[in-house]
Amino acid sequence: MRPYGGRVTEPPEPAAAEQPEAGARTGTTGGTGTTGGPDGRRPGRGAAAAARAARSLPQSVSGRAALAGAVVSGLLILAIVFGSRLLHDFDSALLPYAVATVFLAFGVAYRYTVWVSAPGARRLFRNGWRSLFSAENFRRTPTALPKMIATYLGFQKFLGARSHARWAAHQLIFWGCILAALITFPLTWGWFTFTSDSGAGPGYAMRIWGIKVLGFDSLSFIGWVMFHGLDLAAVLVIPGAGYFLWRRMKDRGAITGQRFAYDMVPLLALIVISVTGLLLTFSSIFLHGGGYEFLAVLHMVSVVFTLIYIPFGKFFHIVQRPAAVGMQLFKYTARQDDEVFACRRCEEPIDTGPYVENLRGTMRDLELGFDAWAEYCPRCKRVLRGNAYLTQVKKGFK
Amino acid sequence: MMGRTMFIDPGRCIGCQACVSACRECDSHRGKSMIHLDYTDEGSSVASLPTVCMHCEDPVAPCAEVCPADAILVTADGVVQQADTTRCIGCANCVNACPFGVPKIDLQAKLQLKCNLCYDRTAYGLAPMCATVCPTGALYYGTIEELQAERPGVQVADTFVFGESEVRTGVAMVVPAERVQWPVPGGLPVVEINGKDVRR
Repeated sequence: MRPYGGRVTEPPEPAAAEQPEAGARTGTTGGTGTTGGPDGRRPGRGAAAAARAARSLPQSVSGRAALAGAVVSGLLILAIVFGSRLLHDFDSALLPYAVATVFLAFGVAYRYTVWVSAPGARRLFRNGWRSLFSAENFRRTPTALPKMIATYLGFQKFLGARSHARWAAHQLIFWGCILAALITFPLTWGWFTFTSDSGAGPGYAMRIWGIKVLGFDSLSFIGWVMFHGLDLAAVLVIPGAGYFLWRRMKDRGAITGQRFAYDMVPLLALIVISVTGLLLTFSSIFLHGGGYEFLAVLHMVSVVFTLIYIPFGKFFHIVQRPAAVGMQLFKYTARQDDEVFACRRCEEPIDTGPYVENLRGTMRDLELGFDAWAEYCPRCKRVLRGNAYLTQVKKGFK
Repeated sequence: MMGRTMFIDPGRCIGCQACVSACRECDSHRGKSMIHLDYTDEGSSVASLPTVCMHCEDPVAPCAEVCPADAILVTADGVVQQADTTRCIGCANCVNACPFGVPKIDLQAKLQLKCNLCYDRTAYGLAPMCATVCPTGALYYGTIEELQAERPGVQVADTFVFGESEVRTGVAMVVPAERVQWPVPGGLPVVEINGKDVRR
């Protein structure tokens, strides 16, 4: 996680760091020819860098984030206590999972707060909410938001444009994880209970917060699905995660710059959770419970690790991605008003007017003094730079 | 400027597009070329300018700074990577904030794409695809010492000026010896557009 305005660096992959040539590039040989201070920097730039460094230590942000984390995890603890009817329905065997979700709540709230405090995210976040709560927008296009949520978050059409295979694999993981989360989170919090009036069934009642919502026969198809929901989730997740793991080992594009902790661990975690979960069912059906305790511990450790990992790695996109709907809504509503901003030189459309103004504001927040440049399209920027080089640096490129 | 990096000499560019074709072969963005080749004064001059990502060092990659999703990562060796596919939301902030006009965007895929200095090759000491095929040496990959050994007396600059702001880059441009103490003009402020003086 980077503090805003700070350097966005990631630790190098050990394998890449061991490459002698890669190490050679970290050197700072001279040859720049620019004048300035002893570090080769120009005074003006040094001052700006110092200002940026000062801004990269946002104590108020970390304090606010810690407060948000504490409030959200506190609320979750209260929700667990009251939702399980003062722990009456709480299953103590699931305590490690419940504790992990409290840590997860703290981590997600903390990182989310830090993330939306950075200038780029903060501005789009605000504009997204503003577009969402605009009564006028809702009157004009009431279906825009549900449509975006369905196509963007649910069916992830944009992934299909990247690759059909990746889309299919991601859909399997996505729906598998949604199913697993809908089952396990309320179960570990003691919100869902399954009770039988006759002791051993087959008639069962599913209760939410103690209130009966569904009665079913455990020997029926519905009953089988209810008691094997997590197995079905695992069957969805394993081929999806397996495909991505195969791709990470075979696809040279994916391999470029990939990092074990960021790219491989999430896939391995999903596979370990799913396989150990299925093995629990296998043990109870075919092995009469043989090895069940060991498998249960292994499964629990893998789930707890994954839950705690969510705020720190690739899985954070689960939390981050929905905010992108706000960005789309912001652009979409401006487009409805025909607020298209055209390049000042070639008059090709760049984006919407409010978007360009938003970007210029972000650049000013970051002390990037060339925000006026955002009013030119990328090609014109290059051509104007080429012209400047042609006329002021190497006349006629001689 | 990075130790082993790219040196661009527009004076040597003949606009042959070999770099554009070679770029498509890069494994990290197969079939899509990330290098730009622009004719700066089309119709009256054959002058052309190849543009790769300049891998800005100071301020730290403006594209990464304006990214609302923390999708653009900079490796420890200073290479600004293309957007992380998991994080990129396709907002185009990077595309429009880059002072060099480098990143591209696929709006359908909601994904930014840009030159990553052929990281699959340069991480192993190989030259990027474009520099490998450039027939005139307009794109040169190596250290400044290697460049100067091949081209005695050549001078390079890695600082560009956009209005009041300066940007120092990991990739450098060849400049005449008498210009070496000045940052390379980036084109801003814009003086004239289509023959009209736009200074206010």
